[in-house]
Formats: sequence, C-alpha cells, structure tokens
Amino acid sequence: MNRVIEIKMGGLEIITDETEELKTFVGSCVAICLFDFVSKVAGMAHVMLPKKSDGTKFAGKNDVGKYADEALSYMVNDMVKKGADPKRIKAKMAGGATIFAHESETSLFNVGPRNIAFLKQILQENNIPLVSEDTGENFGRWVRFNLQSGEMLVTSNLKKFEKII
Amino acid sequence: MSTSCNDLQKLNSVLDSFIVRKTIPSLSSILEEPITHFLRNTQEIPIINLDLIISDLEEMNVMSAVYVKCAGDIHMGMLLYLPEKESKTLAAKLLGKPISNELTGIATSSISEIGNILTASLINAISIDTGYKICSSVPGYAVEFFRTLVEAVVSDFGNESDTLVVSNIELCGVNSGMDIHMLLIQDPSEVKKLVI
Repeated sequence: MNRVIEIKMGGLEIITDETEELKTFVGSCVAICLFDFVSKVAGMAHVMLPKKSDGTKFAGKNDVGKYADEALSYMVNDMVKKGADPKRIKAKMAGGATIFAHESETSLFNVGPRNIAFLKQILQENNIPLVSEDTGENFGRWVRFNLQSGEMLVTSNLKKFEKII
Repeated sequence: MSTSCNDLQKLNSVLDSFIVRKTIPSLSSILEEPITHFLRNTQEIPIINLDLIISDLEEMNVMSAVYVKCAGDIHMGMLLYLPEKESKTLAAKLLGKPISNELTGIATSSISEIGNILTASLINAISIDTGYKICSSVPGYAVEFFRTLVEAVVSDFGNESDTLVVSNIELCGVNSGMDIHMLLIQDPSEVKKLVI
C-alpha cells in the first residue's frame, strides 16, 4: 500500500520515493504534476491563480503552489536538486473547471480556463511537454499521481467517472 | 493570523446586525414565512486549511449554490448553498409549480435570483451604515459537492493573503424548515473596514 501525500489548496510537494503518491482535489484550480520517470522524481502543485497581480514574489510560507509561475519554477528547481534531468521532465495536469455558470456575456468566474491557458504557456516556454490532461468542464476532480507507474488517476464524485491519463 | 479575536467577534456582531436588519426581512418576504438565523462563527482560516470548514455532512450532499462577488469600497464573496433536493422545493415555491426532475432554465434562474437578492440586502445594509459604494457581480450558479464549491469560490476570489476571513450563516424557514446556508469570505485586510 502506497503512502498518499495530500496536497492542500496552494500547496506543493515533491516525492522521490516510488511507494508514495501525490493526491489533491481541484475544481477551478489545477493540479499540475511534473515528473522525471527515469530518475523517479515527481512534484505536484495545487495551482489557484496564474500569477500574483502585484508582481511581488512568493513570501516563503505554505502556499508555494498557489501561483502557476512560482509553482512551476519552484517545482523544476527542487526536482533538479533531487536528481531530475530537466530535459526529461514531462507534465500532466487536471482541473481548471468553470464551476459557476451565469447568464451574462462577461468573462466572470473563468479562473479555471485562465489557469489552464497560463500553465500551458509557461510549460511551452520552459520546453516541458504536456503529455496528458483532463481539464475544463464544470465539475471537481480528485487527482492522484502514482510515481511508480507515471499514471494520473482522475475521478469525479459528481459525474461518477474514473480515468487514467 | 492577522486578525485579532476581538476584531473577529466585532465583525461577527456587525454582520449579524446587517443580516437581522435586511437579509432576514428580504428572505422572509420571498418565502412568505418567518426566518430564524444563526451566524455560526466568523473565523480566519489559512487557505491551506480550508478543509476545516467542510463538514462530513456537506461533503456527502450535492448542493445547489449561487456565488456573488462584491467589489468597490469593500471586497467580499458570498456563497449561498443548500442541498439540491431542498433547492427544488425552494424553486417550486418561487415559481409556484412543482419541479419534476433536474433544475434547469428558469428554476436555476430563480435560485440565482435568491442569491442576488440576499447579497443585495446585505450590501445595502453595509452601504447604509458605512456609506461604502459596493457593486455585486451577476450571480454564478452551480450544482456540486461543497468541497468543489468552496475551492472554486476561494480560487475565483483571487485572495493574495495566506488566510481568509470566513463567516458561516444559516437561515431557516420556520414553517417550511428550509435551511439555506451563506458563506461570506473576505480578505483579512478588509475586516477593519467593517469594525471601525
């Protein structure tokens, strides 16, 4: 039985032990997972927002995964320190739903799609291939990453589905 | 934590007075019955520990929910939610006809409208007391588990602090027993604006 490390809102964890799994729950937030399957190093961040609006840097508390730009940069650096080869790092992600619907034409409540778009942009800028994703729609997802298999298990209690990406 | 217990207690009392003065009469008028209320608590919670406000009961039930964001002199998010089954009763009461299957179209609009009215009643009370100019967004509607709703609201609220001030309110129809919950969220830096 693997030890499961649960990542809270805005949190981030790195694992190097194949008996550990990373797990989080996302609605409009995004679970972004980076992994080097050869070195067996993986990280998952629970990204809430694309980036800080005031441009200031992370203050060094518990929410290093909160902003997409900071989370990705922190994750890559920490993974490399723990033995990952930057050229082998790949990404998987899930979440970024639009939970609240409204009858207006405005772009209200679209933080999910904005998170996805921004993450894709910075993955591309950092030459990290996004190998699979389960994003968008309008429901929350439990996301679990298994370092041994490199699989991401995505489940929805509302839609009653379970898929491996 | 940046908000003192004293300020949280004061905020609790201030919100309670706004709810008694404006929100309860509004809901009572819509539902045509007396309303009791219970402002459970106002607490400052680290975003990373938001699980603390998700009770087992709320985790098990699918909720109908409305989210309204207020901006202007004060920034506040309001999530109104009730179990999906009860929301059908509420929509039926508002529309004057039974809701057969899923909540769609005009039925969801009617629930959104309740969220709109209750938010408006609260910001009206705040404005009268403080003179603040506050605008509310169009209401967003969702049917999901409470965990998803809270996650989406906190994410959308775009709070840049590590913590949120959360007030938990329960409104109950005396005759129908209908239980409507409201969650008010604010950045800790906003608290002082209401507890002067």
